[in-house]
Amino acid sequence: MASRFTRTHRGGWIVLDLGFSQFLVLQYLKIWLASIRYSLVRSMMFRGDFIMWSLVEFFWMGVNVAAIAVIYQHTDSIAGWSQYEMLLLVGTSMLIQRLLMGFFWSNLFEMGRNIRTGNFDFFLAQPGNPLFMVSTRKIDLDSLLNVSVALAIVLFSASKLELSPSLADLSIYVVFVGCGLVSSYAIVLLLASVSFWTIGTKGVEGGYFTLYEFSRLPKQAFSGVANVIFVWILPTVVISNAPARALISGFSLPDTAWILGSTLTWLTLGISVFRRGIRRYSSASS
Amino acid sequence: MRLLIAKYRHVFSVGLQSNIVYRWNFAMRAAFSLIHLAFVFILWRAAYQGETTIGGFSLEQTLTYFVTLLVLQFFIGAFSEDYEISEEIRSGLINQFLTKPINYFVYRFTIFVAARLVSGLLALIPLLLALPLIGEFITFPDEVWRLVLGLPAAFMSALIQFTIAYIFGMLTFWFLEIQSFVILSMTIETLLGGQIFPLDLLPATIYRISQFLPYYYQMYFPAAIFTGRIDYASAQQGLVIQAFWVVALLGIAQLLWRRGLREHTAVGG
Repeated sequence: MASRFTRTHRGGWIVLDLGFSQFLVLQYLKIWLASIRYSLVRSMMFRGDFIMWSLVEFFWMGVNVAAIAVIYQHTDSIAGWSQYEMLLLVGTSMLIQRLLMGFFWSNLFEMGRNIRTGNFDFFLAQPGNPLFMVSTRKIDLDSLLNVSVALAIVLFSASKLELSPSLADLSIYVVFVGCGLVSSYAIVLLLASVSFWTIGTKGVEGGYFTLYEFSRLPKQAFSGVANVIFVWILPTVVISNAPARALISGFSLPDTAWILGSTLTWLTLGISVFRRGIRRYSSASS
Repeated sequence: MRLLIAKYRHVFSVGLQSNIVYRWNFAMRAAFSLIHLAFVFILWRAAYQGETTIGGFSLEQTLTYFVTLLVLQFFIGAFSEDYEISEEIRSGLINQFLTKPINYFVYRFTIFVAARLVSGLLALIPLLLALPLIGEFITFPDEVWRLVLGLPAAFMSALIQFTIAYIFGMLTFWFLEIQSFVILSMTIETLLGGQIFPLDLLPATIYRISQFLPYYYQMYFPAAIFTGRIDYASAQQGLVIQAFWVVALLGIAQLLWRRGLREHTAVGG
């Protein structure tokens, strides 16, 4: 059976006949698997680097855990959250960040650089959706390895809190963490897309780390302008607070609506800015 | 001597000019630091809910500590000196210093001082703009000795920061890539340098051990003197240990430079 494709304005292919969407998903999955295989081989070629970077990430997580341990030596609660509730929140925040770093960070960070140098042409020339090709070029194994450490912190906190979540609660947690990953991806995509407009924005992507710090704080700690910016406008607080709350106190309709709505809004915004950027992109000459 | 000063005065002036070019980078970095400061304020305000003091210090004292840390960072912190030195070794740029009567360490340190002067002054601008918001939380002790001991402590901290960065740069003689070393060490510095929480909040034994490590003297020590977190006797004792670390690190740096040059091959082109 011949598949019917149509070409979008720049390089991307979409399938006209819905019956072929499964075929398309499989094709993209194959491309992603090939990228993963390539990343695996590469990591094993530079084993020393892989070990060092895994250690670096492991140590950073240790710093955050140590901070909580030390602060709670002197106080019983931070904005009403007990020590292990807070650890669960920080563990969840790390989990989302490790997933982002593992799957998408390097790709999006390099996208900004490639736009500035003109190497972005390479992605547009590939026969696939440019956003997909840009986002899935490689994975970082060291970050993915540390996903297990973040998970261990979450599990440790949950056992200390004597939580026994139902299967439904666990599924909600997984979905919310997924939403957190998508929202973070959208924010970094937005920041990296700024490069389409300005060449002097080297390192704006790094702003993500500054913003992401706030995801380690409980929602209740915010007030005034900070509350409006970090809790209501940006998705930084909801992405960690909603899953942690779901695990601690079960399903909450407002939290669900909030995180789903926020994820959808930011993803739409990220993709549309990226698309506008591509339309504006005119390569760079040497 | 006069010739020596004149030589490095030129280096200083070049360093000043080349860093003013990066003013927007510094300004952006300072802006990000302010967002980080917002994080610190929110976290500690929440931690102080229901507590009047933590570790014997009020909320205002703790927040003043973090603001001081931010200012110090821009005045005495090493930013990318390790990478710059590494790049100069890798690209062979250091070859020109081997044939000239210029001490590479002094040359780089002079540029570092010029760079920090620019970044420090630039960082003050956003901080002054934020002063109406954070002013009510700023409280400094008024003892004069804190300035008298704090300023040399800050200068030695700058030397320690720079020398550690220089030492990492020297590793390029043996390793192709130093980034992971630098970041790994940065995590330890962040924790034991007092950037996440004031070190005095650590359990007593660990705090005592940390006082003998160089990290304590990178940032925490001068900040603690200025903001009243340590007393006169501890400050005096600290200055002695800090001086020891300055000498020790300078020795290591010199050793690595000599050994490194033996490994180094300059290829002409």
